[in-house]
Amino acid sequence: MTPSGSQGSHAAGELGAQIDVTDLVIRYGAVTAVRGVSFSVGRGEHLTLLGPSGCGKTTTLRSIAGLERPSGGEIIVDGKPFFSEAQRVDVPTEKRGISMVFQSYAIWPHMSVFDNVAYGLNVRRQDKATIADAVRKALDLVQMTPYADRAASRLSGGQQQRVALARAIAFSPKVVLFDEPLSNLDAKLRNEMREELGNLRDRLKITSLYVTHDQEEAFAISDKVVVMNAGRIEQIGTPETIYERPANHFVADFVGSANIVRGKVKGPNAVGSIAFEANGVTVQALSPFQPDGTENEIAIRPAYVALEREKPQDARLNVLAATIVRRMFHGDFIQYRVATPIGDLMVRGSPTNMFEPGSAVLACLKPEHCVLLKN
Amino acid sequence: MDKRARAPRWRLPVPGLRGQAFVTLLILVVCGFLVLYPVVFLVAESLNIGDPQIFPPEEIGLANYLESALDWTVIGNTLRVAFVATIISVTVGFVLAWILTRTRIPGRGFLERLIEIPFYVTPLVGALAWAILAAPKSGFINQAWMYLGGSGPLVDIYTPEGVAWVMALFEGTVAFVMIAAAMKSMDPSLEESSRVLGAGKFRTMMRVTLPLTFPAVMGAFIFVFAEMLGSFAAALVLGIPGRFYVITTAIWELTLSYPPDYGRAAALGISLFAVMFAMLALYRWVVRRGSYATISGKAFQPRAIDAGRSRWLLLGFCWLYIVIAVVLPLAALVLTSFQRFATVLMSQSEFTLANYATAFSLDSIRSAIGNSLMLGFGVATVGVFVMMLLVWIIYRSRAPGRGVMEYVVMFPQAVPRMVFGLALLWAWLNMPIPIYGTLWLLAIAYFTVLLPLGVRTLAGVVLQIDRSLEECARVCGASWSQQLRTVTLPLMRPGMISAWVLLFIASVRELGVSIYLMGPNSKVIAPAIVSSWSSSGTELTAAMAVIQTATVLIAVLVLFYISRRQSGQIIDKGGPL
Repeated sequence: MTPSGSQGSHAAGELGAQIDVTDLVIRYGAVTAVRGVSFSVGRGEHLTLLGPSGCGKTTTLRSIAGLERPSGGEIIVDGKPFFSEAQRVDVPTEKRGISMVFQSYAIWPHMSVFDNVAYGLNVRRQDKATIADAVRKALDLVQMTPYADRAASRLSGGQQQRVALARAIAFSPKVVLFDEPLSNLDAKLRNEMREELGNLRDRLKITSLYVTHDQEEAFAISDKVVVMNAGRIEQIGTPETIYERPANHFVADFVGSANIVRGKVKGPNAVGSIAFEANGVTVQALSPFQPDGTENEIAIRPAYVALEREKPQDARLNVLAATIVRRMFHGDFIQYRVATPIGDLMVRGSPTNMFEPGSAVLACLKPEHCVLLKN
Repeated sequence: MDKRARAPRWRLPVPGLRGQAFVTLLILVVCGFLVLYPVVFLVAESLNIGDPQIFPPEEIGLANYLESALDWTVIGNTLRVAFVATIISVTVGFVLAWILTRTRIPGRGFLERLIEIPFYVTPLVGALAWAILAAPKSGFINQAWMYLGGSGPLVDIYTPEGVAWVMALFEGTVAFVMIAAAMKSMDPSLEESSRVLGAGKFRTMMRVTLPLTFPAVMGAFIFVFAEMLGSFAAALVLGIPGRFYVITTAIWELTLSYPPDYGRAAALGISLFAVMFAMLALYRWVVRRGSYATISGKAFQPRAIDAGRSRWLLLGFCWLYIVIAVVLPLAALVLTSFQRFATVLMSQSEFTLANYATAFSLDSIRSAIGNSLMLGFGVATVGVFVMMLLVWIIYRSRAPGRGVMEYVVMFPQAVPRMVFGLALLWAWLNMPIPIYGTLWLLAIAYFTVLLPLGVRTLAGVVLQIDRSLEECARVCGASWSQQLRTVTLPLMRPGMISAWVLLFIASVRELGVSIYLMGPNSKVIAPAIVSSWSSSGTELTAAMAVIQTATVLIAVLVLFYISRRQSGQIIDKGGPL
């Protein structure tokens, strides 16, 4: 069921729109915020721009909405240029038909909930009945119907968030942009809203572009994640790829936590299984790309290290003699620091199987979880 | 800067954007012209060493500057008066600010409002009131003194000290406001940590509080000193009778003499402007360099000291100031305005309504009052909307040149008001449009000199509105004008009403520009008060001053009422704003 997709003016609205961003450059005076960014979002796809603050993710998002004017590159939606340096096109925000949920919600305090949600339809001069119908459907979707006549200034943070969402979808846009929409909510509410947001998007079959600095959020709700840093793209991939095969030091370090082990590639210089020497010890590792010989780091996720008391059967495993240096209790998991021949490693263990500090254990690593990083 | 970062000439695919571009261009050009055009004339005239009546000048030279710079007496007078007035206002302002922000005395909020009143009374009315109070023979204070058996006059306001006194009382309020703002925004934990680490109240005051407020006090000193250099009204009323001239009154005399020496007047005006501008630059430097991180922009609830028994002393100081700066002057004016002959001795006084009857029946005065009110309403109403758009363009749009525009519209603030009046006079005398001597010219002039006030006030309002509230309207599909109509304007309404009242007040009390630009058929109240003072009786002038002051104070009450309701509303709304 697509309650609000049925009365929109877009014929192709059923599956959202295709967005192609090519060589996007955005400068403010002498500062370059975005340095040549390219990516595509397919129809109905959910893509997330993930990165630390100041990496240019929000600026990129805002330029797709037309709120920032890029200095170069192209933004094409469904084959139509919204911005193109070469063709000198810059379609004003209000003509783009792209919707957006703002970090601050941007709920207009001088209007009622109904008027807030109806705004996009009002400016499109829809008739009263259509508007009332669309607003009701949008409010139903976010479970805010009982609040329609309330003054928007008298809503809690979570309610404002829902109204902002209803407003963004009420006029049946093909693309909705989300600028860190959950960052102002407390942790519990954030988890709830994350799930609701995901359901809502899937039901509406819109294309969505989401910005966040929270990798957990990015992984949970995206088909594809773009990791950005300092105005550039570090890696594009599915959440699983990004987590399991971080492309470089930055991605390994920023997304989740990682043990970075320094050493050198012993060979072969080919995609796939390689031998990596660290601190005089050789471990079997994986190279997702063609190494050029200068690589000197592998990444090991703490959750992918298994601590065992006895040597497992699997001969492919790297098994390292280790000593528990420190144990920290986190509740959902136990964090250990263990000393191994390739250096100290952070390891996440299960609280059901605890090791005492000082005890000798075996740290077991699957080769595909020791990932070679690009320089 | 990279060339591509500058907005190139973009093809505008939608007519909606053309509307915005057109309005933006129109407003920037008109406001830029209004501010810069008179300045060009002033500079040109100051370099004119040929016939001062001919424009453009036939001979160019620096003689006007060299001649005027040599008048050391006037420069000495100006420095002396400005220095004394600044010392008084900063000292009093500091003590008042400290008492009102840092001690628990009864009625703090009310006292703060009362202390701001002298600013609205204006130095012109203040000077008249103190002339009534402290003229050598007829002044009320001297009358009472001699009635009580004193020999000879006790005080004389027609002295350099008298001029400085009135300037300090009625123009120095800004020192109090500035220092109080700094003290309010100081993080109390800075003082608290000193106490926690073992320092006593006194040591904390000397080692923490004073050094932290020092930049603000220094800033206030420089700012007020610059203002005082350009002060006009007090020296006009109290200095000229004793042939005591400061730079502003010297400029006034040069333009009144026959034939008027506009060249020298312009050169003096520009020299004064240059000095004031340098002072203001120094002020900005001091404030920026010395602000540490105490002024975080956060509103703190300042921790008030319980002053114990000495709080009655502190309260007494506040009330003493209010009596001297508000109660005595206003009482003297009101009393005089209802008398046939001004006297404080009740046995000799004859009460009458004749002065008000004259004020409202005499054509010249009645029309002056009417014109001032009309200009107040007109300039405030049109001004608020134009300035709103201007503020939006400067602080919210992507229009090229908006940064420069901010400086341009703030420019009239750095020029002494009466020097700007002179510039406007010259500029519009030489304008082919025949509006000199009409109310239209006064309206344009008021709008020009009030730009900084209006833009500053409205900028505060615009900057409070979260940008995304407006962006969201655009994302939802609203055009620029729809966004302004449905989101920006409704959110700004309370702020715009305050700005309207401020512009109205400033128009009704305007003197420096009006005195040059009013014509026989376009009289306004403040210059009419000046001419009545020199040609008609004290009593009639007092009545006029009471009418002007009452109008302004009613507007001030409205303003207080609105701002109280507004702050209530903001608390009410909480979240998104």
